[in-house]
Amino acid sequence: MIIDVHAHWGPWFFTMDVAEASLATMDRYGIDRAVVSATEAVIYDAPAGNRALAQVLERQERLLGYVTVNPRRLREAARDLDTYLPTGRFVGVKIHTDYTGSPVTSPQLREALALVAEAGCPALVHTWGASVLDLAQVCLDTPGLRVIAGHMGADGFRYAIEAAAACDRLYLEPCWSHAPAGRIAEVVAAVDGSRLLFGTDATLIDPSSAFGAVAAAGLSAEAAERVAWRNAARLFGI
Amino acid sequence: MMARMTTRDGAGTAFDAWRLIGDLEVTLDVDVLVGAYPDRDGPRGDPGEVLATLARHRIREGAAASLRAALFDVRSGNDEALALGALRTEGSAFAPVGAVDLRDPVGAARELERLAAAGSRAVRLFPDEQGVEAGFPSVRHVARRATSLGLTVLTGGDVRRFWRPFAGIGARVVFLDTHFYHLGDFLVAAADEPGFHTSTRLLNSPDALETAAAEVGADRLLYGSRAPHCEPLVPLLRLATGGLGPDEVAAVAGGNARRLLS
Repeated sequence: MIIDVHAHWGPWFFTMDVAEASLATMDRYGIDRAVVSATEAVIYDAPAGNRALAQVLERQERLLGYVTVNPRRLREAARDLDTYLPTGRFVGVKIHTDYTGSPVTSPQLREALALVAEAGCPALVHTWGASVLDLAQVCLDTPGLRVIAGHMGADGFRYAIEAAAACDRLYLEPCWSHAPAGRIAEVVAAVDGSRLLFGTDATLIDPSSAFGAVAAAGLSAEAAERVAWRNAARLFGI
Repeated sequence: MMARMTTRDGAGTAFDAWRLIGDLEVTLDVDVLVGAYPDRDGPRGDPGEVLATLARHRIREGAAASLRAALFDVRSGNDEALALGALRTEGSAFAPVGAVDLRDPVGAARELERLAAAGSRAVRLFPDEQGVEAGFPSVRHVARRATSLGLTVLTGGDVRRFWRPFAGIGARVVFLDTHFYHLGDFLVAAADEPGFHTSTRLLNSPDALETAAAEVGADRLLYGSRAPHCEPLVPLLRLATGGLGPDEVAAVAGGNARRLLS
């Protein structure tokens, strides 16, 4: 059993044609369930993307949804949270800091995460480099918030280790298109095993990247099970 | 902390890589390094350990260049690389590849002559590590000299920029850092340049290999791991689980590299 906590549904603007590839991509790696955000919502128009994703989720049992929030449009965000979270098909919030021009240190990102904390679901936030430390601080400052540091800082994975040590409501997921040797093993050796999740960034990135990197870490059977699905199931209540 | 007992590449867990890779073997990996990067943590790149890494991943031969040559001293580093051909372990071996320093284009031209005279078929460039941009005269100079000597060039750097110094001169090039974000740029450049090839290391979107094969042919794709500094399992998994046919997979896993480097 594998739950992918960082996945997408919809088209991308690169030279690729993967809009309909979600389930086939999951099947190639034995991924049973994926928590997806709509690419349209992440990149351009959050309400329109969330609306489209809601329709997809009605017919795709293996997919669960993130309500994507643009921190610059908090009224729309509140409306979408009220609309989609009660359906049970959406289990968290996705915030991309770059596409919305909302770095982790920005006031609007703090306000958005306060809204998420009030809604009571986890938020997947894009992190890169040292920004994962900023995310830990926002999480500490926001009572009840649970955040997933998307990409666990990518090349800043050592910052992610610090961030996870600083805040016990911060979770890490590893997806990245690069796979420097030993990255996952180093994080696994240093971070509380209950806060490690599996994410791929599919359908942008093929699951081979995260799957291969995690496989190379040679996790024990118990650790692999927690990363593969147990921690995610508990975090999302699924 | 998690339990310390580990598995080999996820065997017996949900992350069992070899269950997905199956029988795939790489006959020639185009991107292998010996030596260490002094500016980052990571493997020391001892040749014996690198060879063991290749063997562990069923990579039968690795086109290996020396970071000593790339970062410090070309001549002694290349001598170190050329000597790698004598090593072998558990069915895996090195195919030595020399390097030149783009910060010294005059010396680079001399080293290209020396490598060609020693029978080398390829040379590796490290523009990022050497702080050299695609538009520097040095790159164009080395591209022309290597091509005139019949050498295949293995080059790092952003393909959107580094295609240009190799264009229009009949160069045989393998771009080692092509990211799937930039696949379209590679494809339109390669359509005009039959000698342009790319490593698959970062072509890890769900359809990059298949798109490249459809657009310019699988004979332009070469498995590259950058062992031991990157995880060889990732491009192995991508190749093994993708949509290329068996002949195409075999070509990407080493047949194409053999054609360019032997």
